[in-house]
Amino acid sequence: MLALRELQRGRGRFAAIVSALGLLVFLVLILGALADGLFYGATGAVRSTTATAYAFDDEAEGSLVRSRLTRDDVAVLASAPGVVSAGPVGVLLTGGTGPDGDISVAVFGIDSSTAGAPSTLTEGRLPGPEERGVAAADTRLADEGIGIGSEIEVGGIPATVVGMVEDASYQLQPTVWTVLDTWREMRDAVRPELRGQPDAINAVALVTSPGASLADISTTLPESAVLTAEATGLAIPGVEQQASTLNAIIYTTLAVAGLVVALFFALLVLEKRELFAALKALGSSTWRLGSGVIAQAAVSSLLGVIVGAVVARLFGLVIPPNVPTLFRMDTLVTIAVFTIIAGIVGAVFSLRRIARIDPATAIGGVL
Amino acid sequence: MTNDPVVEATDAVPDGPGPTPADDAARHDHALLRVESVSKVYGSGHTEVTAVAGATLSVDQGEFVALLGPSGSGKTTLISIIGGLLQASSGTVHLGDVDVTALSSRELTRFRAERVGFVFQSANLVPFLTARENLLYVTSLVKGGSRTQAKARADQLLEELGLADRAGNLPEQLSGGERQRVAIGRALMNDPDLVLVDEPTAALDTALGRQVVEMLRREIKSRGKTGIMVTHDLRMVEYTDRVFEILDGSLTHVEEPSALGH
Repeated sequence: MLALRELQRGRGRFAAIVSALGLLVFLVLILGALADGLFYGATGAVRSTTATAYAFDDEAEGSLVRSRLTRDDVAVLASAPGVVSAGPVGVLLTGGTGPDGDISVAVFGIDSSTAGAPSTLTEGRLPGPEERGVAAADTRLADEGIGIGSEIEVGGIPATVVGMVEDASYQLQPTVWTVLDTWREMRDAVRPELRGQPDAINAVALVTSPGASLADISTTLPESAVLTAEATGLAIPGVEQQASTLNAIIYTTLAVAGLVVALFFALLVLEKRELFAALKALGSSTWRLGSGVIAQAAVSSLLGVIVGAVVARLFGLVIPPNVPTLFRMDTLVTIAVFTIIAGIVGAVFSLRRIARIDPATAIGGVL
Repeated sequence: MTNDPVVEATDAVPDGPGPTPADDAARHDHALLRVESVSKVYGSGHTEVTAVAGATLSVDQGEFVALLGPSGSGKTTLISIIGGLLQASSGTVHLGDVDVTALSSRELTRFRAERVGFVFQSANLVPFLTARENLLYVTSLVKGGSRTQAKARADQLLEELGLADRAGNLPEQLSGGERQRVAIGRALMNDPDLVLVDEPTAALDTALGRQVVEMLRREIKSRGKTGIMVTHDLRMVEYTDRVFEILDGSLTHVEEPSALGH
């Protein structure tokens, strides 16, 4: 009763802590959206597929573009222990032409009947096995006027869009998914130096059975390395570094939020020392007074999260589309939980201060 | 004789003809509050300070007494020990059949909530609670009791204290005298056996001070409570039944208020 009445009647002073927390939460949410945007934009093409793991040559360090395997390796890996399905993956980072002009794309050559095909089809269909001259396009290309029926050209090789897939970009570039043969024609047109390597692919996508040993799979194919789909995403240059840098900033900011709450309530308790001494003299326990302060911290943090989330969402509307941001519910919930915990932990530091208040000081005015 | 406030408000306590508190205590063997040989010593060795030395006093149920002494006389320390706010170095305090000096600090917290009412020097009301909520707050500190009854009791107390139309006001909207009256209501809210009052008029002018102490007496007497008021202000003792004089940590005499000469 005491704590909530104080919140209600002392709105002005609590507005200060709520806005401070709101600003910090706003900052953290924008950073989180940026981290998610970068991560999802960079890794969609390896996360949003049927594959659970990818095999590379052992010098590629998990990089799809650096890796060189051959079509024959697909069959070898398909027979490896714990492999349910294996499919070729060819990657080509390049430019092309869409209905509205030049586009930057990552062309993925796959076999849609095996591992590595996109799993996030929103419309239409994927190219069928051996179906040349058609493609599934990233929904991000819709901004370039591309939809079902549009024609895309890469290196003069045309492909008609028959389906759209979402969350499928690679290194922040929208993707185009074709059969391996169409991909190779495009590759040969753009990279003449690779002509004459009809069997070359970049990697092999794998669907592994639960509990399968990736190390055992890689021994099946000499000079190969196998990574989970998640690790493949993190191995994309810059992804892990960006994620860890942004996360470090996010967690530091959350620690600052905890500190701000700790300082605010320490001051509040200091200011109410005389009152708390009197209330203790009247028979209020340290725990009762302390739990009130903690409840206030929890409510302030929650309000701060709400304010921060609303402001961040509004700010999200004015962020230019070329800045990769993604507002995810998961991230919001995580940040909300961390902020409230930081607030409560901050307020817990006041408990010692409250415990030290001597009720005897309530009598006799100043001792 | 004209009232000369400068002379009357001095810290000097006239040495009256009454008996010593120990002799007086022997005559009150059924007293509600029995304080026996209570001492309080701070520090040790060279820095040792005796705040209260062997205080013995008895107060009957229904009595309203004053503890009169200059500042630094130990009256605050003594009343803090009686109210369970301070541990005595030696001696015992009994309220009814409870040995206050034997209680743990957790038990003391409960003892204060249930059996003692406090009125502080500067009312010390919760600034963000209304007058009525300040009264109701202390009922939340004791177990049991119905909300409805508590509300009725708070309203009745506020009515008696002439604050019926101020019940919904925050302390900052009340005058000093009104605040002190709310504090009296708060002290009586949990129906305590003992009401301890610390210099209630320190922040008030004479007229208001008198009004507050008179009201305090009326509330304590009409409910059959036992009250002790700490004061250094001779003007206020006329509202009490007996006056215990304290000087340099020792209780010296017990006087009739009239013997202190107005």
